[in-house]
Amino acid sequence: MTALALHGIGHAYLGRSVLDGIDLDVGTGEIVALVGPSGCGKSTLVHIAAGLIDARAGRVERGYLRHAMIFQEPCLMPWATAAGNIDYVLGLAGIPRRQRQSRVPEVADQVALDAEDLLKYPVELSGGMKQRVTIARAFAVQPDFIFFDEPFTALDVALRRRMQDLVIDICSTSRVSGLFITHDLHEAARIAHRIAVVDTRGRGILGERTLTGDPRSRADATVFRWVQHALATDPLFHHVHDVDERNTA
Amino acid sequence: MGERLQTTFAAGLADRAGRVLQFIWSAWAGLAALCLLAAAWQAGHEAYGPFILTSPLATLAEIGNLAGDPEAWALAILTLQRAVSGFALVTATGVLLGVAAGYSPATMRIATPLITVLLGVPPIAWIVLAMIWFGGSDATVRTVIWIAALPVVFMGAARGIATRDRGLDRMAEAFGAGPVRRFVTIGLRQTTTTLFPALALALGTAFKVAVMAELLANAGGVGGALADARINLDIAQALAWVVIAVGLLLIVEYSLVQPVKGEIDRWRHAAQPWGVKR
Repeated sequence: MTALALHGIGHAYLGRSVLDGIDLDVGTGEIVALVGPSGCGKSTLVHIAAGLIDARAGRVERGYLRHAMIFQEPCLMPWATAAGNIDYVLGLAGIPRRQRQSRVPEVADQVALDAEDLLKYPVELSGGMKQRVTIARAFAVQPDFIFFDEPFTALDVALRRRMQDLVIDICSTSRVSGLFITHDLHEAARIAHRIAVVDTRGRGILGERTLTGDPRSRADATVFRWVQHALATDPLFHHVHDVDERNTA
Repeated sequence: MGERLQTTFAAGLADRAGRVLQFIWSAWAGLAALCLLAAAWQAGHEAYGPFILTSPLATLAEIGNLAGDPEAWALAILTLQRAVSGFALVTATGVLLGVAAGYSPATMRIATPLITVLLGVPPIAWIVLAMIWFGGSDATVRTVIWIAALPVVFMGAARGIATRDRGLDRMAEAFGAGPVRRFVTIGLRQTTTTLFPALALALGTAFKVAVMAELLANAGGVGGALADARINLDIAQALAWVVIAVGLLLIVEYSLVQPVKGEIDRWRHAAQPWGVKR
């Protein structure tokens, strides 16, 4: 079963092509990481896939029922508390108020947010706590597909790892499919079942590699070895880290 | 979990009660500032004598006299009604036009020079024109308030929309919010940053312009009473009416604008360091 299928997606900004001929499938219960250098059009692609931007060419087929999205910036409403931010998307999903009241602390528990933190405004929360709220917000609506738009790029290494563990755990438990955008190959190898590489100038998917095992049971040593091996010997990943973004789309 | 929700609810109630008490307590700072103003006033009175500047106490005594006169109450209420209705009118139209312009950069580009022109015309010119159009009526006062305060409210609303965080729009759209819902819950909410200072300014302008228009158009109210005090060279009564007009403004601002602003901008208060909060 295909949860998401992109067929010949193309896009341009002010007449300048940023994406062309992108074909990609995401299976049900599968997390696909989309890697590529900064500026190759990954974020534009995920915005098209999520329906936030209309593609200039190609079509998007969505086989899932409800999606959620985690952005690079937390995108929390500053005037609402953490609970208010989670409650807002539950309201958008059409969940009745009574159910929302019990759902908010439930998802807060899942991401280890305390009851006191739920009453705090985003300005009172640390970067990690804000990102926990965004993860809780995304999973609160019980999506069967999640778009991750470089969600942990701005976090420090330790915090990023904790957030990755959180996502791996919840995605595996809930059998959620997802498209995970990142330029960090190590992150992709930890979280995804499959890694697709976008062309430096957004002209198609260069290739894909399937990782062995489930992300939850994948050992750190295995991930490390896989990344080292991929970077050293696999030509698909040679240009993932070495591009001047000023010269790309 | 239910126990935790109860605790959360209780904490929310305690927070609200705390904010109300804090708002009331903050009146001490305002009172201290007014006492400083009264001290400077008293110094002016002692330097120039009662014919030029009556003392604060004599003015208070005059206010006491006016408070016992039902006609004075009617005059004050007339000015209050004109200023508040003019303010409501300018708020409704200014926010509507400003929000529309905020979403349309082309409209904003066209409106900006017009706003500069409107700001450049002195209110007195509008008073003369409104007197010709409407005579000495409520419509004259409301029209002048509308024209004088419109640029401020318009710009406050337009800037709020134009400088909104588009990331929040994207977030709401990603979770299924349609254009109307995004406007109501995300766009409009973000105008408060620039709109509330504009509304406070517009309210002050409404009272100033109402009194000025009443005085020049001979339209009764506090302005008319001030004109009478000028004819009689009654400094105490003139100052008493000025204090009454300012008092009315303070009552409206602190019973209407500031509580609404405080409620909407709770998160800003949470962000302030302790020393600023209290």
